[in-house]
Amino acid sequence: MASFILKTEKLCKSFSNGGLQQHVIKNLDLEILEGDFTVIMGSSGSGKSTLLYALSGMDKPNMGKIRFCDKEIQGYSNDELAVFRRGNCGFVFQSVYLLENQTVLDNVLTGALIVQKNSPELVKKAKELLLKTGLREEDLKKYPNQLSGGEAQRVGIVRAVINDPKILFADEPTGQLNSASSKDVLDIFSEIHRNGQSIVMVTHDLKTALRGTRVLYLRDGGIVGDYRMPVYGEGDVRERRNGLAKFLEDMGW
Amino acid sequence: MKVWRLSLFNLRKNKKEAIGIAFLTMVTTLMLSIVVSNQAKINTAFEESFRASGSVNTCVHFQADTYRSAFRTILEENYEVSRLSEGQGTYADMADVLDRDGTVVSYNLFFVTEKTERKMEDFVKGDQLPESEQERLEHPVWLPSFFQIVKGYVPGDVFSVLKAGKEYSFTVAGFYETGLMNNSGYYLKLVLTEEDYDLFAMLFSAGESSERRMLCFDAGEDYDNEEYLELCTEAASENVSISTRYIDEREEKIGETSFLEIFMMMLTVLALVTFVAAIFLIRHKISNDVEDQMQQIGVLEALGYRSGEISRSYLYEYVISGGIGAVLGGMLAFLVAPLVDQGIRVMLGRKVVGSTGVLGIFLVMVLVVLVVVAFALWKARVVKNYPPVIALRRGIKTHHFGKNVVPLERFQGNVNLGLALKGFFSGRKSFFGVMICIVAAGTAILFSALTFTFFKDDTRGLLGMMGTDTDALRVSLMSGMDPEQFREEVLKLPQARKALIAYDGVTVSVKGSTSSAYVTIFDDFADAEQIMPYEGRCPERDNEIMVGLRRSKAEKIAVGDGMVIEYGGIEKKYLVTGIVGCLHNGGSTVFLTSDGYQRLNGNARKNVVQIYPKEGVSLGELEAAITAHFGGSAKDAVGEMALGSSLEAKIRSAAQEKIATLLTQYGVTDLDYAVQVGDQLITGNGRSFVIREINSYEGIIRTQMLPIARTTKYFSFAAVILIAIIVAVILYLIASGDVRRQRQSLGIMKGLGYSSKDLMTQIALKQMPTILLGILLASVCVYFLNKAFWGLLFATIAETNWAVIVVTDLALAVFCYVVTYLSAGKIKKISVNELMTE
Repeated sequence: MASFILKTEKLCKSFSNGGLQQHVIKNLDLEILEGDFTVIMGSSGSGKSTLLYALSGMDKPNMGKIRFCDKEIQGYSNDELAVFRRGNCGFVFQSVYLLENQTVLDNVLTGALIVQKNSPELVKKAKELLLKTGLREEDLKKYPNQLSGGEAQRVGIVRAVINDPKILFADEPTGQLNSASSKDVLDIFSEIHRNGQSIVMVTHDLKTALRGTRVLYLRDGGIVGDYRMPVYGEGDVRERRNGLAKFLEDMGW
Repeated sequence: MKVWRLSLFNLRKNKKEAIGIAFLTMVTTLMLSIVVSNQAKINTAFEESFRASGSVNTCVHFQADTYRSAFRTILEENYEVSRLSEGQGTYADMADVLDRDGTVVSYNLFFVTEKTERKMEDFVKGDQLPESEQERLEHPVWLPSFFQIVKGYVPGDVFSVLKAGKEYSFTVAGFYETGLMNNSGYYLKLVLTEEDYDLFAMLFSAGESSERRMLCFDAGEDYDNEEYLELCTEAASENVSISTRYIDEREEKIGETSFLEIFMMMLTVLALVTFVAAIFLIRHKISNDVEDQMQQIGVLEALGYRSGEISRSYLYEYVISGGIGAVLGGMLAFLVAPLVDQGIRVMLGRKVVGSTGVLGIFLVMVLVVLVVVAFALWKARVVKNYPPVIALRRGIKTHHFGKNVVPLERFQGNVNLGLALKGFFSGRKSFFGVMICIVAAGTAILFSALTFTFFKDDTRGLLGMMGTDTDALRVSLMSGMDPEQFREEVLKLPQARKALIAYDGVTVSVKGSTSSAYVTIFDDFADAEQIMPYEGRCPERDNEIMVGLRRSKAEKIAVGDGMVIEYGGIEKKYLVTGIVGCLHNGGSTVFLTSDGYQRLNGNARKNVVQIYPKEGVSLGELEAAITAHFGGSAKDAVGEMALGSSLEAKIRSAAQEKIATLLTQYGVTDLDYAVQVGDQLITGNGRSFVIREINSYEGIIRTQMLPIARTTKYFSFAAVILIAIIVAVILYLIASGDVRRQRQSLGIMKGLGYSSKDLMTQIALKQMPTILLGILLASVCVYFLNKAFWGLLFATIAETNWAVIVVTDLALAVFCYVVTYLSAGKIKKISVNELMTE
C-alpha cells in the first residue's frame, strides 16, 4: 500500500471578516497518498482553494497538524514555509500568474534557480519540457502577454514541475481555458501523473476531475465524500464518467 | 462620485507617502524660510550696528616711525574724504588673554584711548557699570560688543592680558558699539585709560605689535588705497605699504559675515536637495497612482470625464500634503527664529535687531506649494495618454515586447541578483529620478562628512592649510648663538622629534604689486611637513619661487611665470614653480629656498630653529621643555617687573628687563652691566638669553577659528543626519511603493518558494545599481564642490580626503541597502495568496 505524502489532523482555518469569524476548514482529517492524483471538489465557498493553500504551505492553518512525509509544517514561519515549498511543491494556478516582465523561459528558470544552480543541463531540461507541452522554440522568448491562455498555462505547468516536486498542486488549472486548451493541459497533467507525480488538484469541472484517481468532496469545511478511480486511460471511460457522476450526484453537486 | 475624491482616496490609502512628501516640503520650507527671512537681517544687522557706532568707514594705520604729516595732506588733496582725523593705537598681535573660564586664548588686539576712539567713532556705550562704580575703577577697559555677545563677558568682569609672565588685569567698565575692529578673525579694539594705554604701548612695541599712527576718515568713491600708499611711498621715499595696515567697512563686513553667508549657502543647498527629493517622490507617486488606478481612470473616462479633469483631481492630494508640510515648515521657521537670531548674533558678534521676516516665510510657503502643485499637475497629465480602452485594459505598461535584458539562462550567480537586475532594467524609467536624488543627497552627505572630518579636531584641519608648518615651534635665537649647537641640544630633549635650521621670515616687495609678501624659507622643502603645493612643485633651485593661492589668483600668477622680488634695494627675478594653498599672512606669502633667499639678502644668517614635537607632545609642552632647558625668551622678559624681594633681586630683574628690551628691539648683540649700590657691585650680562622669541601659529588660529570650526562641525554633523533621514524617507517610499505595485509578482515568487528575505534582497539589490552610480557621481561632484568651497572661503585648497569619501561612500551604500531592504519588509506580513489575489 502506498504511503501518505501529506496528512492533516484536526485542521482548522478561519478568516476574520468585519469582526466575524468565518470557519472555512473545520477539524479536517485527511491523507494524501504518494502517487495519487487527488481531486478536490465541492460547491463554491466550500473551502477547496483554502484547503489547497493550507496543504501546500501557502497559507497557515489556525489549528491542527499538517504532516508532509515525516515533517510537521504547521508551525513553520513564512520563510520556512517558502523553503519547504521550493524543495517539495509545485503549483499551477487558475490565473496562471506568470511573471509579466519575464520571458517564457525566464519564468520557468525563475522557479528553478531558487532550488538549483544554473547549468546548461537545467536550461536544456526547461526547454525540453516546454517544447514537450507543445510550445514552439520561438515561443520561449515571448512574454506572457504574447501567449494564449492555453500556452500560458503550459508554461505554468512546466514552471511547477521543473524542480521535480514531491507533490504538484493545481488550483482549477483549466478554469479560464476553452475546451481545446483544457484538454491539452489535462493531457499534460495525466502524463505527468503517469510518470509517478503526486498531484492535488482543485476543480469544479467533471472532465478535469475524471483525470484523477481519487476525488474528495468538500462541504462546509469537511470532507463528506471520498471516491477512488483507476489511473486515467485504464478501464472503460464511460463507466469512469458515470461512476464519478453518480458520486457527485450523491454528494449533491 | 465626485472626481476629486480619487485624490482623497489616494491620500488615505497612501498615508505614509503623503507624510513623506509633507515631511520633505516641511524641511524645504523651514530651511528656505530661514535663509530668506535672515539674509536681509545679516546685512542690516551689520549695517545698522555700524551706523549706530558713528564710525568712519576707513582707517589707515602707519607704522609710527614711517608716518609723515604729508600723508594727511596727500589724502586731503587727492581724495574726497570727510571726518578726517589723526590718532594712535597699539597693535598686540596674538596677545594672550585669560578667558572667562581660566584658559589662555590669543587675540589680535588693538588698544586705543577714549580720545582716539572718539576720533574714529561716537563711542556709543552699551551695557556698563554705574558711573559711580566706573569712577572707582583703577584699570577700566571698554570692550567691543563682540566680547559681550560671543564670549559672554558682563560689566564688572575681570579682563586679563598676559604679557611677559605677568597678568595685567582690567575691570570691564562696559561695552561699546564699534564699526571697525569687532572681528576676532581680524582685530578687536579695546579702549583703555591714558595711563594703561601708555603702559601697553610700551609692552607691545616689538615687530608687528607696535604703536601705529592712524588716519581715520570717511572715504568717498574715488578713494583707492593702493594708489594712496604709492603716493605716500613717493612722498616718504621709502616703501610704506609694507608696514601699513588698512581696514574699511567693506572688509570688516566681509570678515564678519563670510561664515554666515556660507552657512546660508549650505542651508540653501540642503533645502534644494530636499526639494529635489520631494519633487521626485511626487513624480514617482503619481506614476504609481496612475498605473494602479488605470482601470478606475478608464471607467471615469468612459463616463465622460475629460483627462484634464481627472489629472486635476490628483492635485488635491499634493495641495494637502505639500500645503501641510509648507505650513508646518513656515511655523517651525517662525518658532526657531529666536535661535537663529542667537546664532547670527554669535557669529556676527553684533546685536541683531528687527523682526523675523514673516512675509519672506509666507512667500517661501506659497512658492513651495506652487512648485509642488505645478509639478504634480504636469506629471498628472500623463492621464491623457490613456484613452478609455487602453486604460480599461490597464494600459500597455504590462505589455513587454522589448529585448530580454539579463536572460536567466545565461546568468551565472545568485538568482536574487539576476532577478534584481532584471527588475532594475525593466524599471529604468525611474532610474534618473532616483539617481538625481542620490547624487544630490550623496553630494550633500559627502560634503558634510568631509567638512565634519575636517573640523573633527576643531581647528586642527585649518592648521594644516596655513601653508606653513604649524605643528612646529619657530625659535629665534639671540645674536651670536650657534643654531647648529642649539639644534643638537634641542634634539636631546625627549619632547623634540625634528629640528631644522632656518632664516627668520622677512617681508619683501613684489615688483608690479602693491601687496608686500612674507617669505617662507626652507633649505629643502622636502623637510616641510605641511606645505603641499596643489599645482606645480616647491622651489628647488635658487631662481625658483612658489606663491600662495590668494596671491596667484589676485595677481593672475601661474606656474612658469616670472616674478621680480625686491628686498633692501636688491631686485631678483624668480621662476614660479608652484602654487600652494596658504592661509597665513593673508595668503600673500611667497616661498624661497635658502639659496634663493641668499640671492636677495647675501648677509642673512640663519638664526631660527624650527622644532617639531614628538607624537603626543603638544606645542605647549615642547615650549615648556625648551624654556626649562634654555631659559625664557628675551621677548617674554620685556616689561617683566622686578619680582624678587631683596634689593639685589629687584635690581637684577630690572637689569634683565632692560637688557631684553635692548637685545630684542634695538639690535644690541651683547651687553654687560655693573650697578654700584653702596659697597655692593651687582654685575651681569645679556648672555643669559639664548632665545630671542618663540612663535607658533596654533594659538591664534585656535582663538580665531575655534567657534566657527565648532559650529561648522556640529552643523555638518546635523546635516549628515538630516540628509540620511531624507535618503531613508526616499528609499522607504520607493521600496514600499515597489512592494505595493508588485504585489502579484511577489506573491507568485513566494508561491514558487522565494522567501520574504529573498524578495527583500531582490528589491534592495534592484536599487543598488542606481544608488552605486549615484554615489559615484556624488563623489566626483563633491571633489569639485569641496575645491570650490575652500577656494571661495579661504582662497586655499583643502586636500580632498579620499579616505573619507571612500568610507562615506561605503557607509552610504550599506545604509541605502539596509534601508531599502528593511523598507521592503512589508512583504513578510503578507501571506502568499493574499499577495497574489489582492
